[in-house]
This record gives sequence, C-alpha cells and structure tokens, in this order.
Amino acid sequence: MLFVELAVTGLVYGCMYAMMAVGLTLVYGLLRILHIAHAGVFALGAYVAVVVANATGSLALGFALALVVSAIAGVAIYRFAYQPLLGHPPFVPMIVSIGLFIVMQEGFRMVFGAYGIAFDDNPWYTSTVAIAGINLNYVEIAMVISSVVLLVGFGLFASLTRAGIGWRATVTDPQMATSFGVDPVRVRYVIFLFGSALAGIAGALVGLLNNYVEPTMGGLVSYKALAIIVLGGLGNVRGTLLASLVLGVVESYGTIYLADVFDRDAIGFLFLIVVLMVRPQGLLGRG
Amino acid sequence: MHKSFIGAALAAGLLFATGASTGASAQIKIGFHAPQSGPAAADGKSSTIGAEIARDWINEKGGVLGQKIELVIYDDQNRPEQAVPIANKLIGQDKVVAAVSGSYSAPTRAAAAVFQTAGIPYFSAYGVHPDITSGGNWAFRGVTLGGPQGKGAAKFISTKFPKAKVSMLTMNNDFGQSIADGFKEVAPKDGLTIIKEYTFGLGERQFGPIIASVKADNPDVIYAIGYYFVGGPLVAQLRAAGLKQPIVAAQAFDSMKLMEIAKDAANGVFVVGGMDRQRKTPPDLQPFEAEFKKRAGYDTEAVAANCYSSVMLVVDAIKRAGSTDPKKIRDALAATKDFPMLTGKLGYFNAIGEIYMPLEVTVVKDGTFVGATVIDDKTILAPPGK
Repeated sequence: MLFVELAVTGLVYGCMYAMMAVGLTLVYGLLRILHIAHAGVFALGAYVAVVVANATGSLALGFALALVVSAIAGVAIYRFAYQPLLGHPPFVPMIVSIGLFIVMQEGFRMVFGAYGIAFDDNPWYTSTVAIAGINLNYVEIAMVISSVVLLVGFGLFASLTRAGIGWRATVTDPQMATSFGVDPVRVRYVIFLFGSALAGIAGALVGLLNNYVEPTMGGLVSYKALAIIVLGGLGNVRGTLLASLVLGVVESYGTIYLADVFDRDAIGFLFLIVVLMVRPQGLLGRG
Repeated sequence: MHKSFIGAALAAGLLFATGASTGASAQIKIGFHAPQSGPAAADGKSSTIGAEIARDWINEKGGVLGQKIELVIYDDQNRPEQAVPIANKLIGQDKVVAAVSGSYSAPTRAAAAVFQTAGIPYFSAYGVHPDITSGGNWAFRGVTLGGPQGKGAAKFISTKFPKAKVSMLTMNNDFGQSIADGFKEVAPKDGLTIIKEYTFGLGERQFGPIIASVKADNPDVIYAIGYYFVGGPLVAQLRAAGLKQPIVAAQAFDSMKLMEIAKDAANGVFVVGGMDRQRKTPPDLQPFEAEFKKRAGYDTEAVAANCYSSVMLVVDAIKRAGSTDPKKIRDALAATKDFPMLTGKLGYFNAIGEIYMPLEVTVVKDGTFVGATVIDDKTILAPPGK
C-alpha cells in the first residue's frame, strides 16, 4: 500500500515538474538557450495568484491573471533579454537569464515583503478525497488535471494545426521552414507565451499546494527542471514529460528509502548522473 | 506592498541621517548585523526592528552611563564572507564596545572569531551553532543550544504522553541535527520509542511520501524539527492526510506565519522552546509586541524578541560594568544572573557563554501561541561545556 501511495505522490509532483520543464525544453530546442529565468516566471505566477486572490477573494481570477501575466512576462523576457543577444554564443543569454532570475527573486522580496504570503482562503488544500484508499487533496488533483489538459492540448496543437506543424518545422530546420512561409519570430513568441503560461500556472498551483508563496520558491524547481530537460534529451518534449514523471516517482521513493544516504534534492541529480552515464543522449534521445 | 518598500527606503535614509548627525557627539556604539537582503532577509528584518526598539526605549529613558546608545547596523546577507569584513569594520572603524548578531549561525560563527581576537564582547541573539561560543570567552549566546532543546522535548513528550511511540521528522541541517541528537540521546531513557526518523531539506514543502510512511508507522506522537516555513505546509499536510496524532515541534516553528500557512491545522501543535505571546511577564513583553506590530506591520516574531533582549542585556551589562571598557562589559555579561529576557528568564551563562534558561512549551490556540508548560530542569537543560 505504501509502495503504491509513494508512486501516486511521485506522479503528482512529476506533473508539476512537467508543466515547468516543457517550457524550458521548448526554448532550448528552438533557441539553444538555458532559460533559467523560467523559474522566476514560475514564482511570478504564484505571486500574481496569491495577491489577486487575497485582494479580490476570487481564486479563479487569481489563476486567470497568473496565466496572463506570466505569459506576457515570458514574451517580454524573450523580446527584451534574449532577442537582442541571439547572435552571441549561448552562454551570453544564459548569464543574462541567471541575472534576470536573481533580479526577479530580489524584486519579489522588495515588492511583496521578505516573508512569504499565504492564501487567505485556500479551501482545496485541506479538502481531500480518497481514491482507492489513497488520500489526495483537491490541489493535487487540480495539478494532475491541469497538466494533462494543457499538455495534451499542446500535443494536439503541435501535431494537428498548421501553426503547430510550422513550429515543429522551425525546430528541425529553421531555414527550410522560413522558405515555406513560416515566420520563425512568431514561433518563438508562441513558445514563450505557452511555456511561460504553463510555468505560471504550475507556480500558482504549487503556491496553493504549499499555501505559501515565497520569493525564493523558484530556486529549487529551476535546478530540478534543468536536470529534467537534460534527462529528457535536451529539446525533446516527450522525453521531458517522461523524465518529469520518473523523477517525481524516484524522488518519492528516495525520500523514504534513501533519505539516510541522500537528501531528496540530491536524488534528482544522482539519477541524472546515472542516466547520463548509461544513456548520454537522455532517456529518449535528443529532440 | 509598495508602502513597505518606500518605508524601507525612508528608514534607510533616516538611518543614514542619524548616523551622520550623531557622529560627533559622544555615544556608546553597539554593533549589529543581520541579513537584510537575500533569502534570510525576513528574519533579518524582524531582528533589526527588535534591536531598534531596544535602542529607542533605552535612549528614551536617558541611555546608559549618561550617554545615548547607537546601534551600528550592517547587512550581512546571511553570508560568512560578508560577516568577517563587517566585524572588522565594527571594531576598527566604528569602534563599537560590544556587538550583537541578529543573524543565523554561519555569519555569526565567522564574525565570532574576529570579535574573539579583538577582545570585543559579542552576543549571538539566536544563532544555534555550537562553534559560535566554543572559540573562546568573548562570545555569548541568547538561546538554548540544540542538544538541550532536544532533551527538553523528550522530557516534555515523555511527561505528557508517557511511553509514546514517536516518529521523528528532522530537517537535515545543523539546527535540525543538533536538536535531533539531543532528543535521541535521552528519549529511550525517558521511556519513548523512536519508530523511525525521516529527514528533509530546507527547501522541502511537499511531504507526501514522508506522510504516507508515517501513516503506515502509526505513531502516538509526531516530533517535527524544522523552520516554520517547512512546518506550516507539513502540519497542514499531516492533518489533511487524516493523521490526528499530537504534533510536537522544535523552536523554529515559532512564527506567526505557521498559523497563516497551516490555518486551523496548526491548532494544538506544541512548540518546545516557543514564546507565549500572552505572557504578562516580563512587563515589557506586551508593550514590545504592540510596538513591534506598529513598526513591522505584522505580529512579533521570536527572533525579534531575541534581538530586543540581547541589546537590553548588553546595555544592562554596560550599566553594571559602570564602564565602556570591553573587558569590563564582558565580565559583567558573564556574571549575569536571572535577567528577564522576553523569551524567558535567563538563569546564568556557563564558562563559555552558553545560556541556561528554562524552556517554555507553547501550544497553538486560536491563531496564537499560548503557554502550555515550562521545563525548568537544571540537569537536562544544562548548557554543554567546552
């Protein structure tokens, strides 16, 4: 029973990792930029949700605005931080990205206070439902549902719509795609818009799940998401999804069975090292 | 939100202004450092406000030895490599006669060595690492060390829940380990059974796997060692998972944020080494809480009370020494007996400056911490020597 419960808990957290990591891997696939500031967008989503929900009493409005604001923030980061640097070697935008992430963290601290903020009203987080004897709270269920809906929606968009096919073509061969009339700049905007919206929603959900939104909440997730996209085979969306779920489950078991040896947060990296030794191309190979 | 930022900017300006205008007049300077930026800034802000209230109240009553006191405040960013130059600056440039750390263990430990070498009394308001005081006889500590805190928790649990089977949830840093070690040392002798010890990191907010396992263990009592920002989510998740066992927690659960995060789930949580917010003694506690709320905009944090009392104690030592000679202040500090700290009555300091203080146990009730009992056991709470 405990064994199954641990797997379920791990999968729930894996869904959160997936929402966070997909944007990262898409950006990497398209631009070869390690978008560290993505974790800042994650925290931004959480802050918008908590501040709006506490001010208006409406969680739905908080989430809607979290989605919109993080999507816009992601696009702005691309437009003003990365686009001017696209001609430089990849480490240049990466350094900018790290700097931006630090600025965002300190910005949250200055604007919203050094102590974190809790939701005034968070009914979901203490309401649980037992599914086959396993307790899940409503936020965890919401996490799973939103990640499945959003990611499946994205999958359909990428494989069925003209814009989606254009995006995939741009990743594979930008020149060829351009000559077929796909606008690569528009593709980039769409990627940042979608990836950042996902990260913002993930942040808002984690804020609800912890009932605490803090300036540094992006830190740990950013490192894990980096491990995940490497595991997934940089730029490979399916590999990233798989790696997210696997890491969630491995961490969950590790917390109980390996905790005497390793910190839970070290388990992810240990797993990363082992996989890279055996399969340097990532779980499913490069995208 | 914006107001606090503007407020902070104004306060910084004001600080600068007072510093500049009073440079010439004779003032007794006391150094103070705390993290005002970076991840530890929240506690640093509360600490600084606590220390400033002490300074202002002392000066309103005419200061000490006929002079006003000045706090020379620096931001250490919770970084040891910042704390060392700050300590040197406080000693060499600012010429402080004593200093108080409103910071965590790492910077405090680093600065303590500098003050030791220079022969300036140094007071760690709430840093718990053993090395802060073990470097010599110029450093003092205002909180009970981890080991005795853990022993106190074992004593409390075994008295209230005799023969209990306990699941331990320990944060894997210096703070958590030292308390856990103290607990494990005496728990079996007190008739407690430790079923299993789970560990987690400072960044942990999701305890699903641990909770699933604790549920399978089915303990009588859950003993949790960690900070409030870990404790809030932990307590809420334990209760949401249907675990109804009593939760006993370590000192750092003591923050009003605990209730904000965990809401009703925090009710009934015991905190060993907590601070009863309703206490009528010492007489300055209630006025302090009111003043703190006025300045900070939120309720009193224990670290603020620690820093307030530390500054009060250092000034009291200056008064008892009748001099600003650092050596005499040190001797007066070392000779302190029965000083009323806001967090409890300081009994004495041992030879290396470790405090003996009864441990208060509080319980969360209606959104605040109220007193449950006081552990005053000279044997188990005795501060360790060198």
